[in-house]
This record gives sequence, C-alpha cells and structure tokens, in this order.
Amino acid sequence: MSKKIPSLSVITANRLSDGAVVFLDFEGAWNTDFAQANIASSPDEVRALEDRGTYDAQRNIIVEPYLVELRELDGRLVPIRQRERVRIAGPSILAAVPGYVAPPVAEDEDITQEAA
Amino acid sequence: MYRYDEFDREFVRQRVAQFRGQVARRLSGELTEDEFKPLRLMNGVYLQLHAYMLRIAIPYGTLSSRQMRKLAHIARTYDRGYGHFTTRQNLQFNWPALKDIPDILDELADVEMHAIQTSGNCIRNVTADHFAGATAEEVADPRTYAEIIRQWSSLHPEFSFLPRKFKVAVNASDADRAAIKVHDIGLQLKRVASGGLAFDVYVGGGQGRTPLIAKLIKEDLPEEHLLSYLEAVLRIYNLEGRRDNKYKARIKILVHELGAEPFAAQVEAEWERIRNGALKLPQDEIRRIETYFALPVLRSDLPKAKLSAPDRGFERWVIRNTHTHRHAGYAIVTVSLKPIGGVPGDASAEQMDAIADLAERYSHDEVRVTHEQNLILPHVAKADLPAVYKALKAIGLAEANAGLATDIIACPGLDYCALANARSIPISQAISERLAAKQDVIGELKIKISGCINACGHHHVGHIGILGVEKRGEEHYQLLLGGSGAESTALAELTGPGFGPDGIVDAVETVVDTYLRLRRGPEENFLSAYARLGMQPFKEALYVAEAA
Ligand code: SF4
Repeated sequence: MSKKIPSLSVITANRLSDGAVVFLDFEGAWNTDFAQANIASSPDEVRALEDRGTYDAQRNIIVEPYLVELRELDGRLVPIRQRERVRIAGPSILAAVPGYVAPPVAEDEDITQEAA
Repeated sequence: MYRYDEFDREFVRQRVAQFRGQVARRLSGELTEDEFKPLRLMNGVYLQLHAYMLRIAIPYGTLSSRQMRKLAHIARTYDRGYGHFTTRQNLQFNWPALKDIPDILDELADVEMHAIQTSGNCIRNVTADHFAGATAEEVADPRTYAEIIRQWSSLHPEFSFLPRKFKVAVNASDADRAAIKVHDIGLQLKRVASGGLAFDVYVGGGQGRTPLIAKLIKEDLPEEHLLSYLEAVLRIYNLEGRRDNKYKARIKILVHELGAEPFAAQVEAEWERIRNGALKLPQDEIRRIETYFALPVLRSDLPKAKLSAPDRGFERWVIRNTHTHRHAGYAIVTVSLKPIGGVPGDASAEQMDAIADLAERYSHDEVRVTHEQNLILPHVAKADLPAVYKALKAIGLAEANAGLATDIIACPGLDYCALANARSIPISQAISERLAAKQDVIGELKIKISGCINACGHHHVGHIGILGVEKRGEEHYQLLLGGSGAESTALAELTGPGFGPDGIVDAVETVVDTYLRLRRGPEENFLSAYARLGMQPFKEALYVAEAA
C-alpha cells in the first residue's frame, strides 16, 4: 500500500550541533522560525521537502527530519497535531519553571552550507 | 555515601574521552546519526521534542552537597538554569547542546558522577528507599545492596544487550517507599529467624503498556547469595526474553507467559550451578560496603527542639514534611519540589545551591532524590528545623504537602518528551491550584500523571492516575483510580471514557469531592475508601451526572 502523501506540510528536524528545532524555509535554509517555513501544498512539493530532509540529514546538517501536516484555522496555517504545535511554540510551562533562563536571541547560524 | 572506586574513576574518565571523540566525529560528519545514536544513548543523551536531553545517574538517589552544587553549575553554565528530578531518582537537563556534552560529562566526572546506563537495554540505575540509613523502620541500609548491585551491573559484559531495559529497586522497611513490585526485580530486605539478613525477591513487575505486579519467586534468599541469584534471573531473561517484539521484551512478559513457578524453577536450576561460585558475597565485603553508608555521628546533647511555634506554616510543615529518624534528636526532612502550581521535580540552579548549603550545614552533607520527585535532607537535628524551614521558605520550597493532593508526580510529557501524546505538567499545575485549599482536609492522596503509555509518571499506581492519549491530534486524558506503589501494591482501574484538557481537572475534583462526601471520616484515606466503595460511586459522579 502506498503511503498517503499529506498536502499542506512543512518539514522539520533538529539541528545537529545543539538540537534546536528547525524548519526548512523558503530560501532553502534550516530556520528556527516556523513563520519562515516553506509550505508545500502539492504532493510533488511535499516529496521535494522530504527529499531535501533526507539529503541534509545525510549531509549531517540536521537530524530526524519529518513532515508536519498543517490545516487552516482562523485564517492561519497550524499543525494538525497538538504535538507539533507544542514543538513549534516550545514548552507551554516555561513561565512556571524555577530559574528558567531563555537563550539569547541569536541570528540563526547558517547551517545550510556546512560541508558534509 | 556512594563511593567511586579506582575502577569507576578510571573507567568514567576513559568513557568521557571516548565520547568526546565520538561527538567530534559526529559533528564533522564522520559518523552518521544511525551510527552515533546508540553511542549517545549509552552516554545518557536523548533527542527530545525541542532539543537534546542529558540524563544523569544518581545512584539510589544519594547526592553530596558537592555533587548538588555541580548540578547547579551545569544548569547555569550549559543549560537553561534548571534541572528536572525524575521518578527514577535521576536528574535530566532539557537543553544541552551536543557540542557541550563532553564538557558536561567531564565536569560530572570531577564529582564522581556520570550518565552511563541511564539509557539502553542494560541494568539501569538501581533505586532504593529515599529514607535509607535514616529511618528507624529499616532492618539495614538498602543502599549497601544497591551499591553491590551497581558495582556488579556496571558494564556487565553479559548483560549490556538485554532484550530490554532492566530496573532493580531495593527496600528494607515494612513500608515500601521504593515501589519494588513495579520493577523488573524488587528486593525486600528482611531479618530472618536465624538473625541473618535475607531477601524476598520479586520479579516481573512493571508499568508501561502492560502493567503487572511482580511475583514473589524466592523467599529468604541469604544476603551472600544476592548476586548469584540476580545473575541467574538475568541469565534466564537474557536467554528466554523476547527480542522479536519490543513491546513484549520486558521480563514481566516472560514471567507472565511462562508462569511465575516455571520461571522460578528455571532460575533455581541456573542458580544451583553458580551459587557457590565467584559471585558469592563474602561477609567482609558486605560489611565493608556497609561502612560507605555508616550513619554520621549524630549528637545526643542537642538543645531541646521547639517544635511548636506561633508560626502555623512551620507547624504544618513539621507535621507533613518531616519523618521519624532513627535517632530521637533528629528528623528526616522532605523538601517538596511541588510548590502550588509549580512544575513537579524542577529545581533552579539557585535552589540546588541553596539545598546543597542546607545539606552541608544541617544534614551531614547528604541529599536524596525521591522517586516522587522531591528531595530529602536525611539527618536534620530537630533543633535546626526552624532554620531549615526558614531557608526553604526563602527559596520557595517550603510547601507543606508531602503525600498530599498537590504532591503530584508528573512526567515531562508533551512539553518536552518526543514520545508523548499529551502534556502532563500543565494538568498537574491546574490540579495543584484547584486542590490546594482543601488538601489538608483530603489527607493522603497520590496523584500521578503520565503523558503516554510508557508510564514514567507512574499513573498505574496512582491513587488517582491520569494517562495522556492522543485523539485525532488533540490531547485527551484517561482517568484511573485505586492504584498504589506502596507495600499493598495495586494497579489502578480505568473510570471510563476520557476527558479533554479542561475536563480532566474537573473530573479529578469530582472524584475528590465524591471521596470527601462518602468517606467514614478523615481517618479513612482515599485508598481505603476506594477499597470499600469500589469504582461505582465515582463512576456515577463522573458520568451519570454529566449525562443527566
Ligand atoms: S510517560 Fe511517555 S510522555 Fe511521559 S516521559 Fe515517559 S515516555 Fe515521555
């Protein structure tokens, strides 16, 4: 049985060096900002995202790439699964974590061109 | 106290150096993720929902001030300012960068700590009663045996690739504070008629998707045979345990499928072969290791403690959060990591430092981690309790709720865990806020929450258990009642259809209110009332009212 190809998807992974959650953006870079993610809306585009994930995982830029399926909600595209909504937003409880220190907001390092 | 020997020291340093090389090769692309993953897991490094996670072993939950300060330092320097104490008496950091982990492991090695055997299909960190060595109830310190098992199981070549992970817990009091019957092997130490020490050996307990209570397969095992008998159990499991199906690979399934008696017979036959071999423990050696855990010199000339004070908060805290010590002038203090509405088990670097200071000053340099995600100061002079309370209050950790409804166990759940179906922590926070005002009236109540079927939050043995599931992409929660991880171990039963994230908090309150309405009096705790009443009145309150 062939795998169902979702429409309306982005691809996510973790950055190899620090584990940060990243999304492939429309410039072809892995970006920590979901708002910049490249949204595939046809089976061909979804396949292209998957191929890119596999390729960059092989090049040791990112780890564990997978597709996140989206749907429209109140005019915005959001992941269908709560799991992925939490992945994008981060832990929902950080305000209550004793001593939590947010990481400094840094420019995303450009990891796209790192040599394999 | 946990003692590194020369072997540990040498080995841990070598292991860090080896892992440093492996991380460098991974970052340079020389190793693929498939090649690297088993190596990182062998060193306690997981990849979670948002980041890497490092799990650090705390043997039988015992820490020195120096070690606690090191954990604070790591939280501050390499992570995001806090750590999470787990239901396996370990500590997890949620945000380490892979590139920093070799440095973190080197720092840990400086204080004789590591992350080895905190993952993978090996014998994991051995857990024990968190009141060990301090409670008057025990026949001997269970950590002596936990340490013997630690030494035997560390890098045991035959048991490094078991069918699945393997967890051992040791208890030595009538009260079971180590939940031994929901472990792969649970050991109950006792004194036998001859005056010697011996174990009752329970095998095949566990939670997860197939919760089972361990079966007693050997009574009165003399202490000198502990390791030979464990070796025999592990050998049968290693040979017979299923490797074809991850969900059927734990020893509990083997014991269940074979039957406890035939399983015990196989172990017995193997044990007969090896019982008088190299693993027989010499008395001298047991007594030598016992000295690692010798009770510190406690004073008998202390000024009389003033336990009642005008401060009602202090009084409540003494009643709830202290436990009888074997020495009349001392108390065992539970430091609750469950402030009302807080994150169960989390502590900031500042709190860790402050607790290290308290341990050094007031508790003979010892801290314990409990499987209920609290900390213990095991040897506090009663006269020092006001000072300890005041210091804990200053860091927000003086909640007088040990064993009460807001002392909730919650696994990291969907806020961190890649395997989760639903969040655990926000549910525990909401329940804590909801029940705080009436927790003293409710009395002893253990609420335990897991974000998925793996049951790290021990929901199967919660008086009230909550299991997060995923329903069409959304969080949903099943409710269970009547479980216990204590000596009268029981598995909780499902109430019926589950609840959404808002409904589950109301449902828990409905259960609590039903109990308060139907109990015979405050002396009948939730579990006793549930045993008398059964599920029906709770079901009616939860579902019939809803349908009406
Ligand atoms: S119970 Fe499930 S969600 Fe919770 S920590 Fe364990 S694996 Fe993760």
